[in-house]
Amino acid sequence: MLPDAGPGGGGPLVLGFDTSAAHCAAALLSGDRLVAARAETMDKGQAERLMPLLEEMLADAGLGWRDLAALGVGVGPGNFTGVRIAVAAARGLSLSLGIPAIGVNGFDALAEGHGDTVATVIDARRGSVYIRTPRVRAPRLLPRSDAEAEALAHGLKLVEPGPPDLQATAIARIALRLRGTAQPRPAPLYLRDADAAPPADPPPVLLP
Amino acid sequence: MKDLLLLGLESSCDDTGAAVVRARTDGSAEILSSVVAGQTALHAPFGGVVPEIAARAHAEKIDLCVEEALVEAGVGLSAFDAVAVTAGPGLIGGVLSGVMCAKGIAAGAGLPLIGVNHLAGHALTPRLTDGLQFPYLMLLVSGGHCQFLIVRNSDEFSRIGGTIDDAPGEAFDKAAKILGLPQPGGPAVEAEARAGDPARFALPRPLLDRPGCDFSFSGLKTALLRARDALVAEKGGLTRADRADLCASFQAAVTDVIAAKSRRALALYMAEAPAAPAFAVAGGVAANATIRDALEKVSAGAGARFVAPPLRLCTDNAAMIAWAGVELFRAGRRDGMDLAARPRWPLDRSRPALIGSGKKGAKA
Repeated sequence: MLPDAGPGGGGPLVLGFDTSAAHCAAALLSGDRLVAARAETMDKGQAERLMPLLEEMLADAGLGWRDLAALGVGVGPGNFTGVRIAVAAARGLSLSLGIPAIGVNGFDALAEGHGDTVATVIDARRGSVYIRTPRVRAPRLLPRSDAEAEALAHGLKLVEPGPPDLQATAIARIALRLRGTAQPRPAPLYLRDADAAPPADPPPVLLP
Repeated sequence: MKDLLLLGLESSCDDTGAAVVRARTDGSAEILSSVVAGQTALHAPFGGVVPEIAARAHAEKIDLCVEEALVEAGVGLSAFDAVAVTAGPGLIGGVLSGVMCAKGIAAGAGLPLIGVNHLAGHALTPRLTDGLQFPYLMLLVSGGHCQFLIVRNSDEFSRIGGTIDDAPGEAFDKAAKILGLPQPGGPAVEAEARAGDPARFALPRPLLDRPGCDFSFSGLKTALLRARDALVAEKGGLTRADRADLCASFQAAVTDVIAAKSRRALALYMAEAPAAPAFAVAGGVAANATIRDALEKVSAGAGARFVAPPLRLCTDNAAMIAWAGVELFRAGRRDGMDLAARPRWPLDRSRPALIGSGKKGAKA
């Protein structure tokens, strides 16, 4: 644990949050101690709900924005819009509070506490998943059955996203650990290019 | 009243902007900084703005723009009175990034948050630049919008006409695409038109034969495509002169339509006997010198002062959002942390929708 104490002497306060899927989730750590964790399921409306949820959680703990020492934010992969909602909020908070905002990807959050014993898997729709294993660190897009077979072949336990408040807690724990190190600004992990095609009709021939 | 210092954020289309504006009690204002990061190069290969590409760029640019604007203005967040952000209408991915970043800034700095309608930002700009008095007539002509508004106060706008399909900036972009010119199409078509004959091709003047102040530009674009195809069928391509003539003819048609509709809109506005009659124009299309000249003549003919803010304040920017924030702040507007980003947000809620009139409601 880092030496500096937060309000109440419990160690630095770190807030983790995530809106990368159909939820708003947040967790507040005071050093290693979990102060609060919350998750609300919603298909839409994360942009409206996220900040009030965070403020309520802080207020219920008798704390305010200024008490925070660092932020952790889920950067996906997941719903593009959802990921951007949390990342943009984290960047704004980081700027105004003068504290680091640390981007935590979904694979790291899932693997938190498991060491090198798990293959982490995140749904990529259409029967596919993104998989990351201790041997192949770059996420790959695979049919779900292939991912399951690969994990089995290497004796790895398959870990998928569970309750969102646990995910937010893992994000906060990772941010707590990384907060003293130089980190880039949080950026969405898309893993898929933007849907865009160059125009189909060619320009006219220019005659001399 | 006291002096106000506002931070503005804008991210509704393909420009990421942040600005610092100081407003004095005498009504004057000073833009301490206005940072705009464009995305033209990102979208160029696709012949138009791609929403997902725009959203990705905004999400990772908006806080950088804010930092740059603060440094340039030489002020810290504690000096501000409020944070204003474009909350719509526009491409929702970009609007969301701006709104969430603004919420983070406002929450962390303990400042009030004000959600601004992007169109109100444009419509109130002539008060920032020229101190116009209400009510004035506004023509908003850009890549995404085209409407006449009588601006009555900071939150009351009467729309007296608008496009029923494409916006003129969009028509210029499509014209450029049809003719193999680069994007954005407005400046490219205008440059090409300088050497062209505006009378060579008889392109239509859509909706001129009908009463009212509404526009249509999609038929004009199709007519241009037909004229191009006729030339290509005849000789296998276009000469430089053909292309210049097509550009000049297209620009002349757009200019005629906008000028004629402006004459009608001015007549409606002047009938209200405003104390200090003024006709203001905003949006990227207002940068077109031919269109601007025509509007100036129409305005003079009607006896109204013509105001065209400088280009950097005519196109998308955050200074106009900060300024609209000043006006709304003074009118008592404050938004909560539950402020929603809105893809559709008409300024004049009393008028039926011109476009996007499905179950989701009017676009703008």
